[in-house]
Formats: sequence, C-alpha cells, structure tokens
Amino acid sequence: MRSLFEWVDALPSSIALRESLNAYPTMLTIHVVSMCLFAGLIAYWDMRLIGFTLKKVPVSNIPTRLFPWALTGYGINLITGALLLYSQPMRYYGNFYFWAKMALMLVAGINMFWFHYATYKSVQAWDQGREIPLNARLAGVVSLVLWAAVVVTGRMMAYSGLMPGWWNNLNIGA
Amino acid sequence: MLQSFFVWMQGLPFSAWMLEETWASPIIQCAHLVALVGFAGAVLVVDMRLLGRGLIKTPLNQLARELDRWMIWSFVALFVTGAPQVLSTALKQYYSPFFWWKMQIIVIGLLFNFTIRRRVALAEEGTLGHWPKVVGFLSIGIWTSVSVYARLIGLLS
Ligand code: HEM
Ligand code: HEM
Repeated sequence: MRSLFEWVDALPSSIALRESLNAYPTMLTIHVVSMCLFAGLIAYWDMRLIGFTLKKVPVSNIPTRLFPWALTGYGINLITGALLLYSQPMRYYGNFYFWAKMALMLVAGINMFWFHYATYKSVQAWDQGREIPLNARLAGVVSLVLWAAVVVTGRMMAYSGLMPGWWNNLNIGA
Repeated sequence: MLQSFFVWMQGLPFSAWMLEETWASPIIQCAHLVALVGFAGAVLVVDMRLLGRGLIKTPLNQLARELDRWMIWSFVALFVTGAPQVLSTALKQYYSPFFWWKMQIIVIGLLFNFTIRRRVALAEEGTLGHWPKVVGFLSIGIWTSVSVYARLIGLLS
C-alpha cells in the first residue's frame, strides 16, 4: 500500500496537481458542494425510513425519484475526493481520519447493499404505511450515523495534529 | 465602527477559550458541516420539486410545509455553529471578502425564502406558469454560492 502511495506521489500529474495554486481549493470546494447534493438527499431518505419526516411520501418514490440525483452528487464527490487524494497521497497516507473515513464509507456501502437486497424487497407491503419494519428503520439509523461520521472524519483530515495517540504510536506516516 | 465591533469580538474571553481549547474549533466545524447537510437536503428536495423534478408524486405545498421546519432548524444549527467561529476568528473574517459575500448572500437568501420562495411553494400548483422553476433555480444558486464563498474563506483568506 505504501509503495502505491509513494509511486503516485512521484507521478508528474500528481506533482502538477499538487503544485497548482487553484487545483486544491477548486477540488475541495466542489467536493463539499457535491457532498451536499449526495448526503443531503440521503439524509432525508434515511429519516424517511426512520419515520422522522416525509411520512406521506411513498417510500419507494425516493429511490426512483431522488437516487439518480444523489448518485450524481456521489459521482462528483468520488471524483473530486480521488483527485484530492491523488494530488497529495503522502499527506493522507499517515492520516488516521483518512483511513477511518474510507472504512466508514465501506461499512455504509455494505449497509446500503444489504438493505437494498434484503429488507427493501418487501417494500410493497410498507410503501404507504407509517409502520416501517424495524430492519428498515435500523438501516436508516445506521446509514444516518455512518454518513455523518464520514462528514466528520472528512473535515478532521485537515487536523493532522489531532490523531489518536495509539495511531501516532504506529508511526505509519513516518 | 464595524471594525471595532470585530476587534471587540476577537478580544472576548470566549474567543480566547475557543482558540486555546484544542478540540473546540474542529468540533464546531464538523457540526457546521453536519448541519449544512441537513440544510441542503431540506432546501434541495423542495427546490427540485419546484423545478419539476424529484418527488413529483407528492403535492409541492405538502413537501414545502413539511420541510420548512427542517430548513429553519438546520439554519439555526448553522448559525449556532457558525457564530462561535466568527467570534474566535473575527479579524480574519473581517478582512475576508468571501465572508462578507457569504453574509450578504445569506441575507438575500433568507429574504428571498420568506417573501417569494415559500409563497410560490405553498401556492396552488399549476397557477404560476414558469415562476416555480425560476424560484427553484435561484434558490439552489443562492445556497450553492453561500457554500462556495464559505469554503473559500478558509482556503483563500
Ligand atoms: C473515495 C471517496 C472520497 C475520497 C478519496 C475523499 C477524499 C477527501 C480528501 C483528500 C479530502 C481533503 C482533506 C483535506 O485536505 O483537508 C476530503 C475532504 C472532505 N470530504 Fe472527502 N473523500 C471521499 C468521499 C467523501 C464523501 C462520500 C463525503 C461525505 C459524505 C466526504 C466528505 C468530506 C468532507 C466533509 C471533507 C472536508 C471538507 C472541508 O474541509 O470543507 N468525502 N475528502
Ligand atoms: C448565519 C449563519 C452562519 C454563520 C455565522 C456562519 C459562519 C461560518 C464561519 C465563520 C465559517 C468558517 C470559515 C473559515 O474561517 O474557514 C463557516 C464555514 C462554512 N460555512 Fe458557514 N455560517 C453560517 C451559515 C452557513 C450557511 C447557510 C451555509 C450554506 C448554505 C454555510 C456553509 C459553510 C461552509 C460550506 C463552510 C466551510 C466548512 C468547512 O469546511 O469548514 N454556512 N461558516
């Protein structure tokens, strides 16, 4: 893994991005705005499942009508995130919050697929109703918490001085 | 006048505490972003509906009425997590053009929301021609530029 990061770090295109004055601000700003599109819509989907809001909207309306937009936001988010990483791989290699964020995204993804291929199959039975099955509500809570944690670890990546002590002892960045 | 107000904010004990306490600023910044996600979703679901996209099977005024409080309370959360940052970095904010643009557009956005957008969203659907689309488009534009200017305070000031 480390050699992969070091290899990218030495690529001319990575160096060019890193040395460009505008690239970082532009990518980070687009990263935040696209996050709003993705995470904003997903948050209300989660809250619909939990039963916090939008109770009169049929559950199945949201995946068909809002997910294309959320996925567009996610696509832009992934691209700008990947570019940010590509431009300074060695800045993030030893960063606890970077790896935590990636792990949290992975778990959020697993939760999403699990929900989609198991719980969501029976949506016809609870589409209109106010009684959402417990599994679906749980999936909503888990998703809401995980994506919030992704946002938090995303912002914390800038604080390389605030990583947990045990992580620093691993000396991964050195 | 305004400058001395910002100098006064910078000099408050609270501002000094924010800067000394290692975790205070990062926690507040993270909370500001989480609040932003809640705000963005509440605004977008209605704006997309104004544009004729998104949840078109649900009446617009029903969505608008429901999400109105989510929008207001997320804005309150943005204010509560934004104000301490203004206090602790008052002089930086004062000298950042992006900060002033952000604040001006926020005022415009709030006025626009409570005078025009809300009225259009709650009106009988199909009676206003293309105006709902214009309003949805403007609203997305306003809040996107607020976010862009906000991010640029930290990056370019
Ligand atoms: C493969 C996917 C992603 C990668 C590689 C990635 C990478 C990055 C990088 C490199 C930064 C810059 C950190 C810094 O220099 O301070 C960043 C910031 C951030 N990311 Fe991501 N990211 C990804 C997906 C996401 C997602 C899905 C979310 C939210 C749902 C997210 C939320 C954030 C936030 C909130 C920030 C901080 C922005 C700020 O400082 O204003 N990221 N990300
Ligand atoms: C009156 C309410 C608000 C106040 C007082 C406020 C204040 C602030 C301050 C002082 C910062 C830190 C800037 C810096 O020095 O880096 C900030 C960051 C930010 N604000 Fe606000 N804000 C408010 C509302 C909003 C709204 C309505 C939005 C979006 C629609 C927004 C989006 C952002 C964003 C995207 C950031 C950058 C986040 C980061 O990466 O740290 N804010 N805000």
